[in-house]
Amino acid sequence: MNVLKLKKSGLYFIALKTLSINCLILSLISCSSGLPLKDLKSSDQWFQEGHENVQRRKTELDEQKKLLNKYIENSNKAKNIIFVVGDGMGVSTLTAARIFVGQQQGLLGEEFFLSFETFPHSALVKTYNVDLQTPDSAGTMSALMTGVKTNEGIISLPDSVERGVCAAHTNLPTLMDLAKAKGKSTAMITTARVTHATPATTYAHSVDRNWESDNYLTQAAKDLGCQDIASQFIETGAASLDVLLGGGRRHFLPQEEGGKRLDKQNLIQQWIGKNGEQGKGHYAGTKSELDAMVMQVKDGKPWLGLFSKSHMDYAYQRPAEQPSLQQMTAAALTRLEQDPEGYAMVIEAGRIDHGHHAGTAYKALTETQELHETIAWLLTQVDLTETLIVVTADHSHTLTLAGYTTRGNPILGEVVGNDYLGYPKGSPSLDDNGEAYTSLSYRDGPGAINRQLSTHDTHAPDYQQAALVPMDYETHGGEDVALYAIGPMAQLFSGTLEQHWVFHALKYAM
Amino acid sequence: MRFVHTYLFYILLSLMTLSRLSVASSDDLSHSEYQQNSWYQQGNHWLKQRILALQAQREISSENKAKNVILFVGDGMSITTLTAARIWQGQQAGKLGEEHFLHFEHYPHTALIKTYNTNQQSPDSAGTMTAMMTGVKTRAGLISIGPEQDRTECGDSERYHQKTLLEWGNERGYSTGVVTTARLTHATPAATYAHSPDRGWESDLLRHPNAYWHGCDSIAKQLVEKAFPAGLDIALGGGGSRLDNYYDSFRQQFKTGSLIHDQASLLSLTLGSEDKALGPVLGVFSSGHMKFELDRIKTNHSKPSALKQPSLKEMSEQALKYLQSKNENYLLVVEGARIDQAHHKGNAARALAETAMLADTVQRLDELTSDDDTLIIVTADHSHNFVMAGYPKRGNPILGVSKNQQNEQVIANDGLPYTTLGYANGRTAGRQTTAEQVPTEKAVNTEATDFHQGVTTHLSSATHGSDDVALHAKGPGAYLFSGLMEQHEIFHTIMQALQNEHQADKDNSLGSKAL
Repeated sequence: MNVLKLKKSGLYFIALKTLSINCLILSLISCSSGLPLKDLKSSDQWFQEGHENVQRRKTELDEQKKLLNKYIENSNKAKNIIFVVGDGMGVSTLTAARIFVGQQQGLLGEEFFLSFETFPHSALVKTYNVDLQTPDSAGTMSALMTGVKTNEGIISLPDSVERGVCAAHTNLPTLMDLAKAKGKSTAMITTARVTHATPATTYAHSVDRNWESDNYLTQAAKDLGCQDIASQFIETGAASLDVLLGGGRRHFLPQEEGGKRLDKQNLIQQWIGKNGEQGKGHYAGTKSELDAMVMQVKDGKPWLGLFSKSHMDYAYQRPAEQPSLQQMTAAALTRLEQDPEGYAMVIEAGRIDHGHHAGTAYKALTETQELHETIAWLLTQVDLTETLIVVTADHSHTLTLAGYTTRGNPILGEVVGNDYLGYPKGSPSLDDNGEAYTSLSYRDGPGAINRQLSTHDTHAPDYQQAALVPMDYETHGGEDVALYAIGPMAQLFSGTLEQHWVFHALKYAM
Repeated sequence: MRFVHTYLFYILLSLMTLSRLSVASSDDLSHSEYQQNSWYQQGNHWLKQRILALQAQREISSENKAKNVILFVGDGMSITTLTAARIWQGQQAGKLGEEHFLHFEHYPHTALIKTYNTNQQSPDSAGTMTAMMTGVKTRAGLISIGPEQDRTECGDSERYHQKTLLEWGNERGYSTGVVTTARLTHATPAATYAHSPDRGWESDLLRHPNAYWHGCDSIAKQLVEKAFPAGLDIALGGGGSRLDNYYDSFRQQFKTGSLIHDQASLLSLTLGSEDKALGPVLGVFSSGHMKFELDRIKTNHSKPSALKQPSLKEMSEQALKYLQSKNENYLLVVEGARIDQAHHKGNAARALAETAMLADTVQRLDELTSDDDTLIIVTADHSHNFVMAGYPKRGNPILGVSKNQQNEQVIANDGLPYTTLGYANGRTAGRQTTAEQVPTEKAVNTEATDFHQGVTTHLSSATHGSDDVALHAKGPGAYLFSGLMEQHEIFHTIMQALQNEHQADKDNSLGSKAL
């Protein structure tokens, strides 16, 4: 390894001249680990493959250009719209998740594509809120769902309202409202609480994202007529959504029954109807009840599914009574496909964000994997000539992938670099303190409080990657997120976009 | 008070009802109040422009061919760098910042790019630029040689040389040029014109002994004695310490050529005329890399004319005008090289200023060219481990510490504020942020040019990142950049835009090789 240092000092030539032999011999002495290269594709293979990929892309894009006329003149462009949000799924999360999933399939990883990364169109999306450089989910999802950028913490209301202050305001119609007005069926599916910021923006309007149930509202706010988010769904939610599936039972139940509500109301009872009286819709609290609800799909009643008290469990440890994101999506699709006018469905992988906030990359990556698998399955189910699928994130996180890691290095592992001939070293790279370090790390969060050495099991679900700034929770990131699109009018999505523009494109495509 | 509440309640109720009704009654929402919201109107305006642009694009035949290509590479210009530089440039112009767009961020076409080398998850510039210049992904450290070759091993390496975009252009009568703020022999510019089993072999004496044994020329020698004779028209950048042994060779070969070393000579370069064609131009404006833009501005005026360095924008504009004066189609590669080097030092201020300079350079060259015949591409070779953390208020100085809506510093669990920007690894280990409100003897101005953001993992130099980078494009063939692409597909897409039978070329050039 002295070779590199000598090289820097310009004495490289002189030092090695004394050996006057070539690399091969040098490598026998000390320099190469002798570990084999993992990618053996030849120059010609890379060249040929690159050429063919570009030809294939050109054919696909030219086909779409031809269809554009038809779509623009057609008032009903995309019969169905599926809008997918990976909460906190920044670009670095996508790269890491791609490698993570690829490596599980026995690939080196980097060459893999997540299901939605094969979509023909992509854009970059600016995520800031009107009042926040690094945004929150309420403001960002409101922008995506209403076409109006707003303040942090606000649910589908303009930035003229003050957070937490109940006052007269104009509700912003959501994409779901527009779909309903067009006679389409609508669904919101999430692994977070259904009253959490991101899903709430599809059906509720609130000056504070925390008003998930009435216990969070001041008396003054209640007197002024402001309603908590769970109540809003029970009262008027069906005007926006035919299907709402996720977690968060506690906001629908009174404290007496283990919930959060102070008003003694059991909103689930109100939803299904008490003592045989006609209720508003069907309810499911478990996977088997969801299956039963699917059997009643013909009656056209709205669905509410609450499969956990708070957020649903992370995919890697979810109990059998909670359905997976894919199972919820499949159930909703059955309901939506009853509608000859088409549908609009929003799917949120709500806990990528939570995995990141906890400083645990494993959780964020397995949640992203669940989203990848759900979209892969969806692609086998929908007709892409009439269904627009858009996959994006509401905001980023501070996850980074660093080090000069060798190709195919386990994404959750310690950094192993290459030797000077370009072959993988036999041991991890060390920092200036002589310690190994993981490729993944966070800027801030609990990883800086409970600093674990990378000699711990870095692949464990609870392993917290190193961080610099100590905080209870890792923060969001401020940089742009990616957007991938396929289907009718997917061409609209390219360039660097303001987040609220995405709504306008979706509205136009619908 | 109670009355007021009740009154407001009715207003609230009626407004809520109204908006519900208007939604339910019709999808023609043209008179609704929310549509007067300026954000809504901005979105609607964008949509109309976007549809017009798509329609216009449809009118242009997809057979529309690019005559000229300008490829801009921001070395290490990650997506986070773009966002931060956008805010920086916006704030320099007196805006809040986030709403600003770097010039090329207005371009209609984008792709995300996977940057890995064949042997590195987290790539280096030699491998990534080789992918863009030759259409072949390769190993880290190799300059336009295929992945079959071991790094630092000259023997047999010629067999795996990959023809670069500029070499290809020279063979077909394109004028070609390369501009960089790094040494001209550094990895990224080198990959446009040279072939070397090691990016480090910039000058003769820096080569490994086996390079002598097997006959691999230094990158400097290849520039002057291979690339220019083969048709390279202009090369501007730094690197005199690597190149000066070959100045005489350049002068002897090209009697009508120009060898220039300062800003004034560059700006007064006679671009030639129809009756008197100007020979090749080699501009070497510094011994090592050129100065960071922030330093160049500061020091240039106090220097004698012979030591004044041009900006990236000045070099690129002159290079373009020179190529345009040749009346041939041209291929130009411009590298904003020192974004990467500022990041390596953990110095965000310089990285952002370098990025803003690249954006201004793109804008100038965009103004001097036509969208009808010139394909402009702006991308990065790889990312960095540069992060932008939460939750500063809107318009918070991008180089500052995080402040909340009340304009108070946000304090972390260790009692210290923190900067919005930072790096995962690098040389400035640990928490660096202190400020007036924190009792300390070492108050630091985080917005100073020389401030180094603190890092988690202590290394002598910040490493690259492995995450995807962005690509923005406009002009003929730009629509072919879309989705998520492998980096070597950039080369093939340029070839498609130029619409040449490069596949046949490849077969010919490799056909005789026993692969």
